[in-house]
Amino acid sequence: MTVAAGLGYALAALGPSLSLFVAVISKKPFLILTVLSSTLLWLVSLIALSGLWRAFLPLKSTAWWPYGLLIITSVGFQEGLRILFWKVYKRLEDILDAFADRMSKPRLFLTDKMQIALAGGLGHGLAHAVFFCLSLLTPAFGPATFYVDKCPQIPFFLISEGKRIDQIFVPVIHLVAGMVTLINLASGGCIIGIPLLYFLAVLTLLYCGKLVWRRLTESRSRQ
Amino acid sequence: MDRNPKPTSILESLGEEIIRIVAPVSICMLLVVLLVTVLDANSSSDSSSLTTIATIAYNEDTSDSIWDKLKGALLNSLVFVAVVTVVTFVLVLLFYLRCTRFLKLYMGFSAFVVLGFMGGEIALFLIRDFSFPIDCITFLLVLFNFTVVGVMAVFMSKMAILVTQGYLVVIAILVAYWFTLLPEWTTWVLLVAMALYDLAAVLLPGGPLRLLVELAMSRDEDIPALVYEARPVTNHDSSPRPVMVERRVWKERMSLASGMGVSSTSGSNSDFNTNSVFDSNSMSATLSSATNGQNETRLVITGDHLLSEGASQLSAPLISRPLQRTNSTRVGQEEVSTENFHLEGIGLGSSGAIKLGLGDFIFYSVLVGRAAMYDFMTVYACYLAIIAGLGITLMLLAFHQKALPALPVSVLLGVLFYFLTRFLLEVFVVQCSLHLLMF
Repeated sequence: MTVAAGLGYALAALGPSLSLFVAVISKKPFLILTVLSSTLLWLVSLIALSGLWRAFLPLKSTAWWPYGLLIITSVGFQEGLRILFWKVYKRLEDILDAFADRMSKPRLFLTDKMQIALAGGLGHGLAHAVFFCLSLLTPAFGPATFYVDKCPQIPFFLISEGKRIDQIFVPVIHLVAGMVTLINLASGGCIIGIPLLYFLAVLTLLYCGKLVWRRLTESRSRQ
Repeated sequence: MDRNPKPTSILESLGEEIIRIVAPVSICMLLVVLLVTVLDANSSSDSSSLTTIATIAYNEDTSDSIWDKLKGALLNSLVFVAVVTVVTFVLVLLFYLRCTRFLKLYMGFSAFVVLGFMGGEIALFLIRDFSFPIDCITFLLVLFNFTVVGVMAVFMSKMAILVTQGYLVVIAILVAYWFTLLPEWTTWVLLVAMALYDLAAVLLPGGPLRLLVELAMSRDEDIPALVYEARPVTNHDSSPRPVMVERRVWKERMSLASGMGVSSTSGSNSDFNTNSVFDSNSMSATLSSATNGQNETRLVITGDHLLSEGASQLSAPLISRPLQRTNSTRVGQEEVSTENFHLEGIGLGSSGAIKLGLGDFIFYSVLVGRAAMYDFMTVYACYLAIIAGLGITLMLLAFHQKALPALPVSVLLGVLFYFLTRFLLEVFVVQCSLHLLMF
């Protein structure tokens, strides 16, 4: 594959992340650190998963259920990790607030919190994008853009502290998305699988956007 | 959006100092990876092997068995570490005998050699690869000018800081690239060996670096070294700093330091802008910088060698270790400055900026460059591991306030992640991507 085409696909995979990075995150050093640490965390989770599955790979069968199992365990593990991440994030907020008090500076604004959440989510999206897409650069195409859209999922999850239903939404979406990729296993599957993924991604984005908007208007009306 | 009535939140400035050191390290690693991938196709055709100190004991051959390769690599690394130890002791001796002028000249000379000869060779490779049309005379002229400016930037401290920083990063890139030309097993074992040596040299009572610190402390002098200094954090809120006094307060502030090996001084009346690292609740490891008349803050973690600390950074003499001369046939120059730039370690300049020794830059880049020779997944994993290690080292510095080496954590994490990624993750990824499975 030519360098130009490869570069094009790489940008398609990482483009939105990159623009998000440059526009929002690069201004604030703390957010850069958050992105790096969240990427690291997800990378470690992926390594742990691969370690777990190493004994069983490569899967020789063409039936779909071993792969299904693979996806279910991976998603389950990652969702568990996400809960942990959420707890750490809460703790981080408290620490930062205490720190801000000591520095006699204002506490974290809502936008700040969202930015931190966004940074975390971006790290996650980046980790997945690199993991699944960059290694695919030579033979494949298309699936690249999905992972970038996953980054709103974390801010979404973190902000949805109030409602239970919102919290369930994210893991469910993750799982459904994973399962959908199973469809790709079928020979003609690509054609169905990938648009479905896009559809799910758009759905997630919309839901997340609605949530963020709701929070913002709430806080504004409260002030 | 109207930002004026809103006071700036702490998110604006937290962690800034760390980013100022992470950014050049990342740039250095990125450029080394680029160089390695671009020049990679040709190195395989280049059959002449590199004869340097690091390979005099054993030259790896692809047909050797694993055990042979391992033994050879260990032997090479031992020789290298031994040479580095000896040269460090020589440096300590020279420093003890106050031959600073000699050391200074030597450092300028080594910078000249690295930029001129190593840089020239790499430029030649690139020209050859891309068939860049340039004639000899122009090339020599440009190279000579580039080198001379580099030597001046490193030698004299009155240059624009961006120029100095740029040249230091270029020197690190060049040396790191040459290191990646070593055979594979040797490189990995060498990295681990250097990390362990670093640990020993700084923490053991008889270690050369520790001796160097103590000497410098007892004499209240600069330690000759080649270091990268991040730009000092300027904050418009802070009051204008008074002129820095040419004094190093190694001894006065020993209250926070514990024992001889410590060279940490804490700032007294700190400007609030950069935050104290001694606050264990703080998430950032920014080090406090307080320059308030006579008081200077200095917190030094040393890697292989220590950093020079000037009261005003601009006039700090930067001296490197003596060159290692060899009679190697190929290019005697490339290992010439291997020892010069083993000046690793993290410290804090008097203006509050974090300083990192060039040796750290070099070894991190060697690790990532080696990973690049395998695959991009490994590069990604190793990069994150090294940055994480750097962060951890800074935090350890915050807690222990002692001289600490900067190499071990990062290098060991990097090596660990490399092998994990190579053997575990890759299979997983291939499996998933073959079937377009994603989650």
